[in-house]
Parts: sequence; structure tokens; C-alpha cells
Amino acid sequence: MLKYILKRLVEILPTLFVVALITFFVTRIIPGDPASVMLGPQASVEAVEKMRVKLGLNESIPKQFLIYMNDILHGNFGTSFYYNEPVTLLILERFPNTVILAAASMILALLVGIPIGVISATKQYSIFDYVTMVLALIGVSMPIFWLGLMMVLTFSVNLGWLPSTGMGSMSKGIMDVIKHLILPSVCLATIPAAMFARITRSSMLDIIRQDYIKTARAKGLRESVVIWKHAFKNALPPIITVVGIELASLLSGAILTETIFSWPGMGKMVVDAIEKRDYGLVQGSVLFIALIYVITNLIVDILYAVVNPRIRYTKTSERGGGA
Amino acid sequence: MKAHNLKRIICILIALFICITMVAGCGTGTKESKPETSEATGGAADEKDGGTLTIALSATPKNLDPVDYTGVYEGNVIINVCDTLVKYDKSLQNIIPAIATEWSVSDDMKTYTFKLRDDVYFQKGKYQDGRKMTAEDVKYSLERSAKESAMNRLSMLDHVDVVSDTEIKAVLKAPNAAFLTALTDAGNTIVPKEEVEGWGDQFGLHLVGTGPFKLVDFIKDDSVVLERNEKYWGQKPHLDGVVFKFISDINMMANALRTGEIDVATDLVGESINVIKQSDDLVLEEVPGLVVSYVYMNMMQGPTADRKVREAIISAVDIDEMVKGIYTWGEAQRGYLPLPPGSWGYDPSLESLIPAYNPEKAKQLLTEAGYPNGFETEIHVGNKPARMKMSTIMQNYLKQNLNIDMKIQVSEWGTFSDIASKGKAPLYGMSWTWYPDPYFFLNQMFHSSQIGSLGNGQGFNNPEVDKLLDDAVTTTVDINERAALYKKALKLIVEELPQIDYAHEKVIYGLNKNVQGFVVSPDNQINLVTSEINVWKQK
Repeated sequence: MLKYILKRLVEILPTLFVVALITFFVTRIIPGDPASVMLGPQASVEAVEKMRVKLGLNESIPKQFLIYMNDILHGNFGTSFYYNEPVTLLILERFPNTVILAAASMILALLVGIPIGVISATKQYSIFDYVTMVLALIGVSMPIFWLGLMMVLTFSVNLGWLPSTGMGSMSKGIMDVIKHLILPSVCLATIPAAMFARITRSSMLDIIRQDYIKTARAKGLRESVVIWKHAFKNALPPIITVVGIELASLLSGAILTETIFSWPGMGKMVVDAIEKRDYGLVQGSVLFIALIYVITNLIVDILYAVVNPRIRYTKTSERGGGA
Repeated sequence: MKAHNLKRIICILIALFICITMVAGCGTGTKESKPETSEATGGAADEKDGGTLTIALSATPKNLDPVDYTGVYEGNVIINVCDTLVKYDKSLQNIIPAIATEWSVSDDMKTYTFKLRDDVYFQKGKYQDGRKMTAEDVKYSLERSAKESAMNRLSMLDHVDVVSDTEIKAVLKAPNAAFLTALTDAGNTIVPKEEVEGWGDQFGLHLVGTGPFKLVDFIKDDSVVLERNEKYWGQKPHLDGVVFKFISDINMMANALRTGEIDVATDLVGESINVIKQSDDLVLEEVPGLVVSYVYMNMMQGPTADRKVREAIISAVDIDEMVKGIYTWGEAQRGYLPLPPGSWGYDPSLESLIPAYNPEKAKQLLTEAGYPNGFETEIHVGNKPARMKMSTIMQNYLKQNLNIDMKIQVSEWGTFSDIASKGKAPLYGMSWTWYPDPYFFLNQMFHSSQIGSLGNGQGFNNPEVDKLLDDAVTTTVDINERAALYKKALKLIVEELPQIDYAHEKVIYGLNKNVQGFVVSPDNQINLVTSEINVWKQK
């Protein structure tokens, strides 16, 4: 197993190289000049040219790429055109905020989605099943923007229970941050919760029909043990896959939620960087996000093996479990 | 199975019912509409000290260093922390003293002599203890701007001579009557050398100046926190502090105003205006902005390069109706010329040169130009709702009256500005806002040297206009003489019908009713403390 993990970690390098290459060239192909976007519409022709020189944009593209690769090899994610600061610093400032929001949303989504999925599966065709599955369908299709605004109107404007924007500040105590966290995390948790409910239900339904479940019941085991210890545990692999994808997606930054709630996370930073043609920041952030996805995938694959001892990653077999 | 299906239907209905009640419960109650209010004022006797004013900005300031800042958002923070030599007064018509008490211009118009105040101190910073500001600091700051400003905000300055601690001579490379206006820009504020050199690249995060508030905290993407400067040379600020908070979504900004999380919401548009008008605790303030919204027509290539075609297009659009259709909440007034009415270079007599709505005449002109069956073309706009609405309305008029098929290309700013500045757009729509001095509008929009920039992406090129625009800054500093030159230039420009200047958008803010003395300015600048203004909060 350890060998497998090390092999996967080494494989990260070529993946990241390809990501860096593609990002570098795609950002330079799309129309829009960083200098004139940065300076705004009132910039004169001379001012724009001065800025282009300052940003190194007049160098040839291969030379710019070599400079960039050189930076990365020295552990430097590059410099943001706009902020004039190292990208690493900017990511470190915002990533913890994204982690807080992602963690809160993930916990909510798991606490709500998975039990609902399990219960719906065990009580298939009941009222509970129908109602929750329709709600889950609506949840998955819900436009986040609208949901966020509705929540703010209800809980901030009309009821005045919760603040509407921002992250709050630790200096005012952890309760301040938690109060600011409630609306965005509930909003963000809606789609994952609905997805988890649906995938859990469908995976559980597959498992419950299996013979060994009938055997377990026949042995006289309590129903809760049958469901949770036997059925649920075996239903986990597809659930873990979906949870893994959702987690990576949340950690990359929930752009819409961050915009609505002015949550200072990574998602909004990356989108703004693209709009502003901040090549340095886009490249560095995309690379970082790629790293998140790759590592999350690895963790998911390891979890398969933990959850299901029959899955082994040896030289002779391909990766088991199937992502 | 019948019971099974019935159960299913019942459950779906229950789920839908739950959803509908969730939605219905979120509706806002309607209140009686308030009568229009006038600017909130308080008599001097009522004004109270204390409180923190929270102002929402719709974009985050990136860099507060005066030589690097690029947008109005940073400008608003900078002008409250730092001072310039001179400022515009409330009416934006006159330049009044700030750090400079008086000034004179040499006969060759190249040397400006300024006398400075003797009682100005920098806020305490890491690299200096709150020392007195002198003429050396003015020399340092202005020369730094002239050399390093990313936006060339003082490019006309050659150097500054220090005459004494309280007197300087600013020498220009060539006469330029826009120099005083340029000096009012946030990029030309006075900063202490030790702090700039001590902080280096980080100075933008630790701005130090001489203004009414000092920078206490700059939390990126969240807020900028300012505190009263007790040693300010001007009137003592009533407010204890100011927080500039960043809320990019306009609806959320309006919500934050309603919950009381912010006191001032800026740049309001659309539905949120109505919501604030209807609230008892909030006040809506609007002033005509120093802004022109227009549609450029490409003068270098395509059918629009022919003046007749341009005249046909203008005559085919009912601009009054279009403006009403775009700005359903009264957020703009009809425009005619490429200058805002608030500019001293504006000439109302030229408004009659703009063709009135006349579909028959339009059709005739287009036929004479050689396009009896219309043609296909494109309009490029940024992805703002007002621009998209404008394009759709214009598209309808052109199809209906001239059989012109105008495709609408909406793009985000970077793409839009690239296409438009390179002259690749047959038509493009945007707006322009800057100082009341016509130099800041007409030069970049109509001088041939600016072809290739977004301001003159249409390719306007008229040597007579070039000469008039140049003369208006180099041959005189007298405002009346300059106005006469600009009016001549404006007439020549308008006669060529280069564009449709359809609206002047208003600057609209929402305020909590306990904010007093706040002045909403046509140039969107937020001045909290000046010789005429001192914002305070009622408890």
C-alpha cells in the first residue's frame, strides 16, 4: 500500500506540468490585454505600453514560459500582476477561509444527506421516501444565487437573526465567525446534501437486495446492525467517490456563494483574476486547484481500500474500486 | 397499485407545497412609498461627534499606493487618508485650497508657484513619528507621481523646486492647463518618503498621509478600516472612524443596508433603488453624474465609416424612448453630447445638431449611402444589464426602420476592451466618466493620438479638432478661453456624428437615515471631511 501511495505522489508531477502548460497558453490566447484591463478604460496608449513592459508581457512567449517554469522549480507559484504580491501569499490568505466554508458545508451535507439516503432506501416507497427524493431533486436543481438571496431576505432582512455578508472576525470572538458562516454554508450544502441523499439511496438499494443481507437478517441480527454495519459499509464506495468529487469542488472555492455572501475565499479570487487577466494569479491558482483535486482523488482511493479490505493495490492489479 | 400511485401523487404535492410556502414566506412586505427627501443636513449646533460610518464599495481596492492605484474604489480610500495640494469644491466647478493656500501661474504657463500650509502633519507610521509635512515632501510626492504613476497622472510635470519650507515651484515640460485638475487626483496626494521607502512594495497596504483619517487595517477582499486623525489640520472629523466594506453583489449591498450592517450603499442600480425608496429607515440620494453613456460607431472601416450611415442610424433610434426603456427606475437622463452637462465645457446650443427621431429620413439617408436593403453588423458591449438592454432596444429600432441586422456581442470586460480598443468593433457601447474639465473627456475620446486605446477605439481623426484640443491646454489657463476652444472643438466633433451619446447616468446612493451631512458627488468621490463637509451620525 505504501508503495502505491508513493507511486501516486510521484505521478502528480507530470500532471501538474501539463496543467501549468495548458493554463499558461490558454490565458495568453484569450483576448484581452492584462495591462489595459488593469489600468482601466481611462488609460492612455502610453500608460498601457509602460505597464506591459513592467509586467514583462513584451518578452517572447517561450521566454515568459521559461521564467515561469524557473519560478515554479524554486517553489514559487509566481507573482500576481494585480496585487503585485506572491501568489503563494494570496492563496494562503484565502484558502483557510475556503476551507472553513467547505468543511462546514461538507459536514452539514453529510449529516443531512447520508441519513436521509439510508432511511429512504430502507423505507422505499414510503411517504418519507417520496417527499425527500423530490426535495433532493429540487435541491440538486436549485440555482444557488436565488437560494442565497432568498435566505438572506428571510433570515437577515426580515428576521434580523443573521448577518448578510462577510466572514466576521476572530477578533470579535468565534461566535461572530460562526454567525457569518451559517447562511453561506447552508446555502452551499444544499446541492451536495441532495446529491449524497440520492447516491446513498441508490447505492443502498443495490446492496439491500443482495443475498448476504438476507442472510444477516436470517441470522437474527438487529435491523440497525444489518443496515449500518453490513449494508451501509458495503454501499460506501460510490458514495465516497461522490463525496470526494464534491469535496475537491468545495475546496476549489464556491464562486457563486462567495460572491453572494462576500466570503473572502479562493473561488472569487480566481474568477476575478481571470476577468482581470492576472496571468500570474490565474496560473498559480489553477495549479493549486489541480493539486487539490489530485490529492483528494488519492485520499478517496485510499479510503476505498480502508473501507473494503478486498480492494488491494498491488503490482499485479490495476487500481481497484474505480474512481 | 392504485393506492401506490395515489401515495406517490400525494407526496409530490406535499413536497411542492413545502417549497411554495418556503418561497412565499420570503416575500417582503410592501410599505407605503415615501415622499422624495432632500439632502440630509444637520445644523452645526446639532452635529455630534462619535460613531463609525460603514460604507459599502462594490469592488475591492487592491493597492492604495497613489502611484499604483487604478480605480475609483481605491481613490475613495486614498482621499480620506491623504491630501492633495488643491481640491474641487462641492459644486465641482471651482478649485479650492487644500494643502496649498494660494497659487499663481507664470506668464509662459509653465511654472506654478504654490504657498503651503504650515500646520500639516503626517499620521504616525512605522518609519516616522507623525512629523510635520514640508515642501520637500510635496516635491518628493509630485515628482514620484510624475515618474512612476501607472496611469501617468502627472506626466506634464518636469520637476519641482523647493523655495522654502512652505513654498514650491512646479515646473511643467510644456504649458498644460489641466495641471491644476490633475493635482486634485488621489494619485497626486502627499506622502512621506520614509514610509514609501521603508515599506517598498507594501506601501499600498500601509498608506500614510496627512488626511482626516488614518489607515488602521486593510483586510484584503473584506474591508479597509480608518480611524480619526486627531492631528488633522482641517476641521476635526465628527466620526470616530470609517469602514469601507466590499460587497460585490448589488442586491446583497441593498440587503446589508436594510439590516443596518452598512450605513451607505454606493452605485445603486435597478430594483434595489425601489426597495430603498420604500423603506422608512433609509434615504435614497441621487445626483446627475459626470458620465456619458454612448455607442461608438467605427469611423475607420465598414458601413459606419460613412457619415450618412451614421446619421441614418441616429435618426432611426428614438433615443428618448430608449432611455426610458433602459432606466426604468429613473437612473439616468437623456444625453446629447459627449460631455456631461455638469462640465464647464458643455454647450447646450449644440444639442440641436443631433438628428431627431425620423425613421423616413433615416431610410432615405441609408438608401443614398448605398444600402437600400440595410446590412449586417455587430454591437459589442460589456456584460452589464443596462448595456444589454440598450443593445436590444437599439437592435429592434435598426431592424424595424432600416432593416439593419445588428448582432449583439456581450463579453466580459477584458475581451470587450481588447476588441473595441483595437478598432475591431463596428459599434460598441460603454460609458466614460472623469473630471469636469473637458480635457479628460474629449482628449482621450477624440484626439487622433489616442486611436488604439479604448477611448478612441472608433478611430476619430480630425486634424482641426486635434489642434483645438491641443490649444485648449497649451495656449491658455484661463477657464473662459479654454471653454471657448472646447466649444469650437465640440461643434466640429458633433457635426461628424461619430456616436450616439444617449444618457447621463445618475450617481445613486442609499443611506441610513441617521447619516448626516453626507454629500453624494457627481464624480462618485466620497469626501467625508473637507472645508465644506463633515459627515456625522445621529445616534
